[in-house]
Amino acid sequence: MTHNWETGPILRAMSRNKVGALLIALQIAITMTIIINAIFIIVERSALMGRESGVDEANTFYLTSTGFGSAFNASSVIDEDLRRLRGTPGVVDAVQINAIPISGGGWSMSLKTETGADIDGIGTANYFVDEHGVDALDLQVIAGENFTASDVRLRGRNQSDWPPVAMITRALAENLFPDTNYADVVGKTVYIGNDEPVTVTGIIDKLQAPWIGWDRLEHAMLTPEKMDFSSTRYLIRTEPGQRDRLMAEVETALADAYPNRIIRDVDTLTATRERSYRRHSAMITILTAVMVLLCTITALGIVGLTSFNVSRRRKQIGTRRALGATKPAIIRYFMLENLMICTLGIVLGSALTVGLNMALVQWFNQTALDWFYIPAGIGVLILIGQLAVLGPALRAAQTPPALATRTV
Amino acid sequence: MLSMTNLSKVFRTELVETHALRDFSLHVDEGEFVSVTGPSGSGKTTFLNIAGLLETYTSGDYTLDGQNVFTLNDRQRSRLRNEKIGFIFQSFNLIPDLNLYDNVDVPLRYRGMTAGDRHQRICDSLEQVGLANRMKHLPAQLSGGQQQRVAIARALAGDPRFLLADEPTGNLDSQMAASVMGLLQDINQQGTTIVMVTHDPELARQTQRNVYVKDGRVCDEAAPVQLATVNE
Repeated sequence: MTHNWETGPILRAMSRNKVGALLIALQIAITMTIIINAIFIIVERSALMGRESGVDEANTFYLTSTGFGSAFNASSVIDEDLRRLRGTPGVVDAVQINAIPISGGGWSMSLKTETGADIDGIGTANYFVDEHGVDALDLQVIAGENFTASDVRLRGRNQSDWPPVAMITRALAENLFPDTNYADVVGKTVYIGNDEPVTVTGIIDKLQAPWIGWDRLEHAMLTPEKMDFSSTRYLIRTEPGQRDRLMAEVETALADAYPNRIIRDVDTLTATRERSYRRHSAMITILTAVMVLLCTITALGIVGLTSFNVSRRRKQIGTRRALGATKPAIIRYFMLENLMICTLGIVLGSALTVGLNMALVQWFNQTALDWFYIPAGIGVLILIGQLAVLGPALRAAQTPPALATRTV
Repeated sequence: MLSMTNLSKVFRTELVETHALRDFSLHVDEGEFVSVTGPSGSGKTTFLNIAGLLETYTSGDYTLDGQNVFTLNDRQRSRLRNEKIGFIFQSFNLIPDLNLYDNVDVPLRYRGMTAGDRHQRICDSLEQVGLANRMKHLPAQLSGGQQQRVAIARALAGDPRFLLADEPTGNLDSQMAASVMGLLQDINQQGTTIVMVTHDPELARQTQRNVYVKDGRVCDEAAPVQLATVNE
C-alpha cells in the first residue's frame, strides 16, 4: 500500500476556490519578506552591539572635573587627583584621558606611512594617556612595550604638535602596514598631522574608537600625554563588584579635596554602551515586535481560513471518513493544503525578499542578504503554517463519518 | 455477508436514554438485494450507520463478511469501510470542487492504490454508469440523476462486497429514480449485495426482500418479492 498524497485534487479544488488561498499566500509572502529582512537587520545590529570595546566595561567608570577660579592650577590638581584615585582601596588604576571609548565624542587624526600632501592617511581615534592608561583601560600590549613615565609630556590647551612615540591597535597596524606582521610594526615610523614623525613603540590587542558607527572603529592610537586642561576627565577601573560603591565615594572625595571645581558626568562604561547603542536596541525591539505581530497575524489568518474551510466542509469531511479516510488522512489533507498555500506564498516571498534587500542595499547602504536567510525563513514560515493549521485539522479529524448520512 | 444479532444502540444524555435499536437482528446473504423500510424515527438510519461502520453499537453482535466488528479501532473500521462497503447517499455527497474523475478517485486514494490502477477503475466505473464522457465535469454541471450515478460509480470503483444505499432516489424525480433503481438492479445482478434504506414502498417492492423496521426493531421480514424490472 502506498500513501496517496492528494496533491493534484487539492490543487484543482483550490484553483476553483482561490480567493482565500491567494490572500493567505500573499500574507505569507509579505510576512516572509519582512521577517527575513528584519531578522537579517537584527542579526547585523546584534553583531554590532556585541563588539567588544577592549575596555573592562563592567568595572570602569569615568567623571569630569572642571576647575574654576584664578588660583586653579590644573597640573597640580590633576597630579593630586590621580595620586588620590590610585591610592583608593578598590581602585585597580586610574588615568586622565581626553575621550571615552564608544561614548560618541573624542579626537581623531590621520596617520600616514609616508610624508607628502598627496598621500592619503588612515583615520584613527586618539587617546591621551600616561603610563597608567594600559592598566586603567585593561588593555593588552601584544608587541612592544607600554609607555614609561619619562615618555609622558605635558600638552597645553592650544598645543598642536605630537609626542615622538605612540602605541596603536593591531587593527590599525595591519591597515597601515598590510604586508607586515603587526609585531614588526613596532619601531616603525608613522606620520601624523603636519607630517610629524611618530615612532610606534607598542601594539595593543584591541581598543575601540569613541564612534560606534565609524568604519574605523577598531583604529585607536595612544599618545603619552598629560593634559594641562582646567576641565579634564578621569577614567577609573575598579576591582570587580566595587564600581558602584566607588563612584559615589570618589565623587565625594574629589569634591572635598579641592572645592573650587565641579565634578560632573559621573558615569559607567556600561551605561555609555547602552546609550550609544540605544538606536540599535530600539530598532531590534521594534523589528522583533513587528515580526511577532506579523507572524501572529499570519498564523491567525491561516487558523481562520482553515477553520472556515473545516466548518464549510464538515459534510464533505464526514463523507471522506465514510469512504475510508482515517483521522490521520484528514489531518494530512489540511496540512498538505496549507503546505501548498505556503509554498505559493514562499515562492512569491522569496522573490520579494531579494527585491526588498536589493532596495535596502541600494538606498540604505544595507549589507546584501546572506543566502541562508531565505531557506531559514522558508523553514520558519512552513513551521508557523503547519502549527497554525494543526488545531483546525485535528478538529476536522474528529468529524464523525456518520455525518455523511445526515441530511441537515 | 451481514449478520446482526440482538443489536442495540442507545443514545445517552444526562437526562434521557434513547433506544435507537433494540434487539435488532438481520441477516443478509451474499448477492441479496434487501430494502429496509419504516416510518421516520424507526431506526433505519441508525441501522445503516451501524451496518456501514459509521457508528458503533451498544450491545449485540455484528459480523460483516465473517468479521466481528465490535473490537475494531477507528483505523481498522475506516479500512473495512473503504475495502468492503460502497456507500450511496440520498444527497449524493459529491465533493463540489472536484470533477467527476477526482470524486470517484477519493476512496481509491485512501486504499493506497497506484495511479494506473486507480485510473482504470475510475474509467470503468464511470463507463458503467454511462458518464465516462463527462469525467472532467463538476458535479454542479450535472442533473441530480447523473450526480447519483457518479456517486454509484464512486461506490463501485472500489469493487465493494456490498453496497449500502441511503434513500438513493430520495432527491430525484420519478424518471431519474427509475433509472437509478435500474442501475442498482443491474449491479445486484452482477453479484453485488445491496442493502437499501428507503421510505418508498414502491422501491422496496423492487428488491428481493423487504425488512420493515419500527421502534428500533425488525417487525416484519417479508418473504422475497419478485424482482421487478425498471420497465415494469
